[in-house]
Amino acid sequence: MNKSTGQKIDRREFARKAALLSAAMVPAGLAFEGPAAAASKEQLPEGAEKLSAEGRVEAEARFQQIMSQYGSRFDSEEQKRVREGCYNLQGSLEKLRAFHLENGDAPALYLKPLVEREKKPLSAPAAGAAPAAAKKP
Amino acid sequence: MLKESILYESVGELAKRIETKQLSPVELTEAYLERSQKLGPQLNAYARLLPVEALDQARAAEKDIHRGHYRGPLHGIPYAAKDLLAVKGVQTTWGAKPFAEQVFDYHATVIEHLKNVGAVLLGKAAMIELAGGLGYMYASASLQGETRNPWDTGCWTCGSSSGSGAIVAAGLAGFAIGTETWGSIVCPSAFCGVSGFRPTYGRVSRHGAMALSYSLDKIGPMARSAEDCARIFAAIAGHDPLDRSTLPVDKAAFTYSPAGDLKRRGLRVGWLSNAWKEYEPGVSKAIQAAHKILPRHFVSVRDAALPEGPWEEAAGVVLQAEVASSFGELIRSGRVRELRDPLGRTGGYVDLTVTGGDYTTAQRVREILQKKMDALFETYDVLATAAQPVAATPLTTNLITGLAFPDPLGAIGNLCGLPALSVPCGFTEKNLPVGLQFIGRAGDDAAVLEAGQTFQRATQWHRKHPKLA
Repeated sequence: MNKSTGQKIDRREFARKAALLSAAMVPAGLAFEGPAAAASKEQLPEGAEKLSAEGRVEAEARFQQIMSQYGSRFDSEEQKRVREGCYNLQGSLEKLRAFHLENGDAPALYLKPLVEREKKPLSAPAAGAAPAAAKKP
Repeated sequence: MLKESILYESVGELAKRIETKQLSPVELTEAYLERSQKLGPQLNAYARLLPVEALDQARAAEKDIHRGHYRGPLHGIPYAAKDLLAVKGVQTTWGAKPFAEQVFDYHATVIEHLKNVGAVLLGKAAMIELAGGLGYMYASASLQGETRNPWDTGCWTCGSSSGSGAIVAAGLAGFAIGTETWGSIVCPSAFCGVSGFRPTYGRVSRHGAMALSYSLDKIGPMARSAEDCARIFAAIAGHDPLDRSTLPVDKAAFTYSPAGDLKRRGLRVGWLSNAWKEYEPGVSKAIQAAHKILPRHFVSVRDAALPEGPWEEAAGVVLQAEVASSFGELIRSGRVRELRDPLGRTGGYVDLTVTGGDYTTAQRVREILQKKMDALFETYDVLATAAQPVAATPLTTNLITGLAFPDPLGAIGNLCGLPALSVPCGFTEKNLPVGLQFIGRAGDDAAVLEAGQTFQRATQWHRKHPKLA
C-alpha cells in the first residue's frame, strides 16, 4: 500500500518504477549508451576477463552507480581504482553465489532478543573485581 | 636507571619483582617512558604518550602495593593500548585524520578492566587508519605515518596494530593491546617477533572500541610470551552488559593461575598443509624447523587441511558490508577523502554497493564453514602453520602488488571467531622474525595458549630482542 496516495502498487509496477528511477540517476550520456557500451570504450580492469558476461555488466553497473552519485569526487586515477574495486568485488560475489546453499541454510547471525534482564543489568561490573571463575570454555 | 634487560622481561618476571618490592612501578614506568620518548618517535610507535597520567597510576600502584594491596600480575605493569580504544579525556584518533580531535568521556571496557587490576596506561599505540577497514596500499596509511619495525627500521610492522607490535618488540612497555578484524594481531605479532593472541569472538568486550566490522572485530594482547598473553587475557576477558556480542559469563571469562599453569592436557596438533600457497624461503626454513620439534612436545602432530570453499570471498563481503555501515557516514559525506591512503579514500564507495542479499549469502556460507571447522576440531585440539608466509616487507612496498597472497586461514579464523596465537619461531637470513601460528576451536582459547606456552618452553625465540640504537 502506498501510504501517500492510498493506491496499491504491485511488484511489477514497483520494479518498473525502480528501473526508471535508477536510469534517471545515470548521467545522460551513459544512460544513452548503456553501461556495457561505456565499459567497452575503456580498458577493463585486470581480472575482468575471469568474470561472466553478466558479472561484467553487474560490475560496470556498480561502478556507474557510484559515479552517478559521487563521480565528481574522483580524479581519473581514483575512478580507475573504484572501477577495479567494483570488478574485484564482483569476482568475490560470483564465487560466493556459486557456492551451493540449500534454502534452509540459515545465516550465521541470529537476532538476540533484548530481554528485560539484559536491558536492566542487576549491577555494573564491580571495580577491581576479578572476572567470574571460568568453567572450562 | 634500569637495565635494558629488565625492560624486556615478561609480565610474569616483572610482576615477581614488583610483588616482592624489588622493583618500583614508578621506576619501571619512568624507564619505559624514557625509552618510549627516545625510541617511540623513531619507530612512529605511539599515537600519544601519557606521561603524567601514567606516573599518577604508577604512584597509586606503588602506594597500594606498599600497603599490602597487591592486585595481581598486572599491578604496576605499564602497557600501551591501540588508539582505537576509548580512554576518558584523551584523544582517541582511530589513526585517522577525520577523528584526530575525538575525545570520549568514558573508558573502553578493556581499559577499565586493566585499570582495575592496576596496570599502568603508558600511551596510545599508533595504528593503521580505521584499522585498515576501507583498504590501504601503503604502510604510511596512518595519522602517525608508517610504523617502523624494530628489527629493521626500513621494514614495516604490518598492520593494523602496528604500534602495538613495535612497542612490545622494542621494549617500550610491558605489553600492548591490539585488535583484529582480519590479521591485525597475528600479522604484526609475526612481523615484530612478539607473542600476539586473538581471542575467541565474544570473549573480550568491545565496548568503547572503534567498530569496524561488528561480527569480526576482536581485542587481544600482544606481549613477550604466550604465558603473558594468558595473564592479560584473564584480566580483559568477560561478559559485558555494555557489549551484547560478548559471550555469557561462564563462556566469556578466563582464569589463569601460574601455580596451576595452563591446564596441561596434551594437545593433538593438526599441521596445516594448505594454509599458504608458497613461502618466502627464509620463512619456510624457520617453519620447517618449528614443525620438526613439535612431535617431541605434543601428543600427536599430523597433517591437516582446511576445507575448500569461498571463505575469503565470504569474509570480504561480510567485512565490506559491515564497513559500509560502520563508516557509511564518513564515506557518503566525502570526509573519507581526508584519509592518508589513496585506496582508503576510494575503497569505501565500493563497500556501499554490497547488497543485503549478498551479505546474507556470505553469512549463510559462514554458518556452513563454522560447522566444518568445528568438525575439524574433533580430530585436532589446535591447528598450526606459519603466521604469515613472508617476513616484514620494506616500508615502501605497495601492499596490493607486493603483499598480496591468498589467506584462507585468516578468513576462516576470523569468520568463525576462532582463537589464534602467533609466537616467534625463528628468523630469516635478513634477521627478520618469523611467526608460528596456533589456531583453536571457538571457545578453546586455553588450548591455543597452552600450545604457545609448550612451544616456548622448548624454544628461546621469544627471548630474542632487536638491537636498537
